[in-house]
Amino acid sequence: MDAKIPAMRSSSPIRRRLIAGFIAALMAAPVWALDAPAGKVLLTVSGELQQRNTADGAAFDQAMLEKLPQRSFSTKTPWYPEPRKFTGVLLRDLLAAVGGRGKTIKAIAINDYRVDIPVEQAQRHELMVAYLLDDKPMPVREKGPLMLMYPFDSQPELRSALNYSRAVWQLKALELR
Amino acid sequence: MDRSPDGLRRIWIGLIGLALAFALLVTAYVQWRQYELLDGTTQFQSDALGWSFFQLETEHLRLRNELQRALNDKPGVNTPELQLRYDVFVSRVGLVDHERAAHVMDAQGVYAPTMARVRGFVRRADRYLGETPQTPLNAAGLRELLAELDTLSVPLHDLSLGASHLLYEQVTQRNDAVRLQSKRGIALTVFQCVLLLVFAFVVLRQFRALVQRRDRLETLAERLSAARLEAESASRAKSVFLANMSHEIRTPFHGMLGMMSLLQETSLSAQQSGYVHTAKESANHLLAILNDILDISKLESGNLQVVPEPVALARLVREVDALMRVQAQGKGLALHVSMDTDVPRWVHADATRLKQILFNLLSNAVKFTPAGHVHLKVEASLKAPDKVLFSVIDTGIGMDAATQARVFQRFVQGDETASRRHGGAGLGLEISRSLARLMGGDITLHSVPGEGSTFRLELPLAGLAAPAHAGAGTVPADLAAARRLKVLVAEDHPVNRAYLEAVLDKLGHTAVFAENGEEAVRAVQEQDFDIVLMDLHMPVMDGFAAARAIRALPLPRGAMPIVALTADAFQDSQELACQAGMDEMMTKPAHLPQLRDLLARYGGRASGAAAVEHAAPGESGGDIVDRATVEQFHASLSPHKYALLLTSFFEAHAGTMGMLRDAAAAGDRHAVRDQVHALKGAALSLGLRAVVEHSELLRRASADANGTALGPLLDTLERQLLITRDLCQSLGWLPAVAPGRTVG
Repeated sequence: MDAKIPAMRSSSPIRRRLIAGFIAALMAAPVWALDAPAGKVLLTVSGELQQRNTADGAAFDQAMLEKLPQRSFSTKTPWYPEPRKFTGVLLRDLLAAVGGRGKTIKAIAINDYRVDIPVEQAQRHELMVAYLLDDKPMPVREKGPLMLMYPFDSQPELRSALNYSRAVWQLKALELR
Repeated sequence: MDRSPDGLRRIWIGLIGLALAFALLVTAYVQWRQYELLDGTTQFQSDALGWSFFQLETEHLRLRNELQRALNDKPGVNTPELQLRYDVFVSRVGLVDHERAAHVMDAQGVYAPTMARVRGFVRRADRYLGETPQTPLNAAGLRELLAELDTLSVPLHDLSLGASHLLYEQVTQRNDAVRLQSKRGIALTVFQCVLLLVFAFVVLRQFRALVQRRDRLETLAERLSAARLEAESASRAKSVFLANMSHEIRTPFHGMLGMMSLLQETSLSAQQSGYVHTAKESANHLLAILNDILDISKLESGNLQVVPEPVALARLVREVDALMRVQAQGKGLALHVSMDTDVPRWVHADATRLKQILFNLLSNAVKFTPAGHVHLKVEASLKAPDKVLFSVIDTGIGMDAATQARVFQRFVQGDETASRRHGGAGLGLEISRSLARLMGGDITLHSVPGEGSTFRLELPLAGLAAPAHAGAGTVPADLAAARRLKVLVAEDHPVNRAYLEAVLDKLGHTAVFAENGEEAVRAVQEQDFDIVLMDLHMPVMDGFAAARAIRALPLPRGAMPIVALTADAFQDSQELACQAGMDEMMTKPAHLPQLRDLLARYGGRASGAAAVEHAAPGESGGDIVDRATVEQFHASLSPHKYALLLTSFFEAHAGTMGMLRDAAAAGDRHAVRDQVHALKGAALSLGLRAVVEHSELLRRASADANGTALGPLLDTLERQLLITRDLCQSLGWLPAVAPGRTVG
């Protein structure tokens, strides 16, 4: 849906009112509209998507991520001795927010680590882009700020080397193909 | 012989079964372990360690590059790229710095010191680049960090390699483990297959053994069946042989017996007579044994049929008594026969076989009783309805318990020591009991040694209604003893009496006369007769009443044969006679041959009286007189006797005409009828046919209720009398004597 507002050409009172109402309606649905990022950009989504707020695609800062539906789960991972709580946005919700199409998501980390994740897996399972570890933000040296986490505990069938390799730390960008 | 291989086979099967079960369990365990192994690897993630060390090495190199660039470009400025690189490096340290890695990597002793040095570096770098930097980064700091980082190059590289090699080792180990498991799995599977095959083989063998055994049993069964058929046919052949041979043997036997009887008839000296008598006795004895043998064979092969027919029990018992009496009296024993009143008169039974049993029991009783009596008691069984109990009680030598148990067996006799003396082959009781059982009953024995024995024959005999006609006497000729009979004749007409006296005398029997039924009954009560010839129409008490009265007497008298003699042979008379209890009916005139046959049937001597042919009546002679009858009279008696009878007839009936006329005039038709009947009877005996015919006419007219005039008939009758008398005189049968004078 194109959010471009047509220029006001006519001075008809009814039309004016209609247009005003239209704009108001658009403004009243903030969830589905993508603003420009205000703070530091944490995640860049590029590729085949419909909602853009930059030249490449959609950029998200912390505030924008927090506006999307939040989720939490605890899971045991191979990188921490005890189960940890992860809070963040479900990958599929993120994809819906950007209007993402395509079959594969290439997840890229800060150290240029890359891995492919099938969109179908994201749709089927609760893959999360997590920004809170035990309700605290993650610094880079704690493998943050964003981690792509799988619900290993609640779905033990996800426990495989392949999926461990897909649980990206220091997530920087998502490329949709 | 089949036992031990069979048992062995079973043990084998058991063992193999157990082995199979065990193998299955082991396989299951192995598979489970395998699964666990594979599953375990995903838990512990030891393979990620190699990647982590590699990452550490890579980030360390990148940091080094960045530090170098920072040194070259702008010392003292903490660029974002440097910060980022440093943070990433630190994040990688955390991945390898933990217990698990220490545990895995420390085999070579490189890990711990290296990690300590890395931690030290991080502590120092944190002063510049950490979360809370204390000192701004300058060129000196940069150079310091770089120098330290350089020293870490080689150890980190070694760790990385070490991790890599460890990984290969682990992979190889796991592969080996998996391979080993697989090998074990395959071995177990093969073992199971082998066991299964062996099991199947053993089971097959067992199955085949069972099939073989079944075949053998089938063959055996077939052979047994064939053998049984053979045995049966052999037995049947024996029975047929015996039946045939018996016929062959019996025929000359009867010839022999017949010849000996004839010989007895001829004139013999006392010595010869004695010899013939002994020979005849031996022959009879032999015949009896032969009959016994035949009966046994028939009973054994099941061929003996019991043929029931309506039987008058009283008469049967009387016949038995009549025959046994002689034997008993010969030994000086008293023979009593009694029959209860509630025993049915007529029953459905095989008379021959029943008599056979009774004869056997009675003759045994007589044989084994030196003194005293033998009693045949016939009563209705108290225990069950429709059952008749025949008890033969004797006061003989008795039997002890041991003998009692054996006496019904073949060839066993009551007294072994004296067996020769008592004679017989010892088959009688076996036959008797088999016959009794065949008839649905049984024979039981009770005996006290020294006191006597009681044989009880119990048979199911339901009572019957008296059948429509009385059968002829069932005494077969060969069992009857030919002898002189004592005959009671109940006849009211003197002429007939005289006639019968003559005939009976000629036949060699003793005759006693009664003039009416009442006299007859009294005579029977006082004396013992063999047979009664009863006229039906008699004054005071007629034949029917007399017969009923005699039948009411106790046995054996009550069962004596009564033969009705009557002029009219109507069907109803015959039925009435039968119902009154008479055995037979004979029409008057009773010619000599008829009487002889009749009496022979009831035990009279079938001696050779004058074999007169019974000429058919009405052949020759005129209408007046029946010549044949007269000629017979002449032949059997004598012309003189006949003349006497004729004379007495005419004398007796001289006044009959007058009486008839008086009665007719008075209207007493009954009297007319009775008189005429008597006249007719006498005339019939003498063969005066015309008189008979007209008497009959008159009799019928007098019985007629319409009241036909009797006068003309009376006239005709009188004329016929006169004509007949004249004829007789002219023929010379009557002496030409004036009426009124009797012939002396």
